[in-house]
Amino acid sequence: MSTATPPSPRTYLAIWGWLAGLMLLSVLLSELPLSGRTIALIVLALSTVKALLVALYYMHLKFDRRWLAFVAVFPLILVVVAVGVVASSRLVRL
Amino acid sequence: MSQAHAATVESVSTGIPSGKLGMWVFLASEVMFFTGLVAAYIVLRLGHPAWPGPEGHLSVPLGTLNTFILICSSATIVMALAASQEGKLSGTRGWLLATILLGASFLGIKAVEYSAKFSHHILPSTNVFWSCYYTMTALHALHVLGGIIFNVVVLGMTGNAQAWLRRGHLLELAGLYWHFVDIVWIFLFPLLYLLS
Repeated sequence: MSTATPPSPRTYLAIWGWLAGLMLLSVLLSELPLSGRTIALIVLALSTVKALLVALYYMHLKFDRRWLAFVAVFPLILVVVAVGVVASSRLVRL
Repeated sequence: MSQAHAATVESVSTGIPSGKLGMWVFLASEVMFFTGLVAAYIVLRLGHPAWPGPEGHLSVPLGTLNTFILICSSATIVMALAASQEGKLSGTRGWLLATILLGASFLGIKAVEYSAKFSHHILPSTNVFWSCYYTMTALHALHVLGGIIFNVVVLGMTGNAQAWLRRGHLLELAGLYWHFVDIVWIFLFPLLYLLS
């Protein structure tokens, strides 16, 4: 059950436009003569924005019950912890 | 809201239909699976003193085209859901068929890419980059194939209006799965094609 009215087809098309535009922007930015680290940060940030647009509007997380979003986000928290442990093991040798 | 969707709403006590909640829990496990793979790739990438990379053997235009195809397919399946919620069964059928064809196109292009690699004797054993590339893209392609099968099953249900009243909610579940597959590719494409 949604807590709000789902978006209209017009909104879906607008989101499609944003997704396609951000994809092209990522490709163009990756060709710029910037440092690899800078490009990686920008491109991955754009990917995160695209993923959020899909999750919020196409998967309706923005319009569903809030705790459903927690179900989606919780594994990401676990992954961050796991990667943090792996990364820290390079700094701290037990 | 159509009768099919109304029926699923009535069958819940948590506020969320059981099937939808189950799909989200399943997707949560899939998030763990793919982010684990991506995290392993990043750790390998950062820890490798001389990262081999694709060395010009990955086509950015083909990767971009495939990304565009998946973005379009996400839009078509959500349009199918919108049509279903408006009670337009023929519209639902058309958008769903478009989604299936776009998914098949994605796999076709991926097959062309794989074929080109194999013809150049680029295999998973070539180096660490190609091991990661084949592992992540093949597992993603299997998920796309699973999504296509799911969509075909749902498309088959649109042939019977009475059955659709009972099972139309499966379209929302198929859509959730399909969007997840799209999100995974949204991250795989830049990691493998643009930043490698």
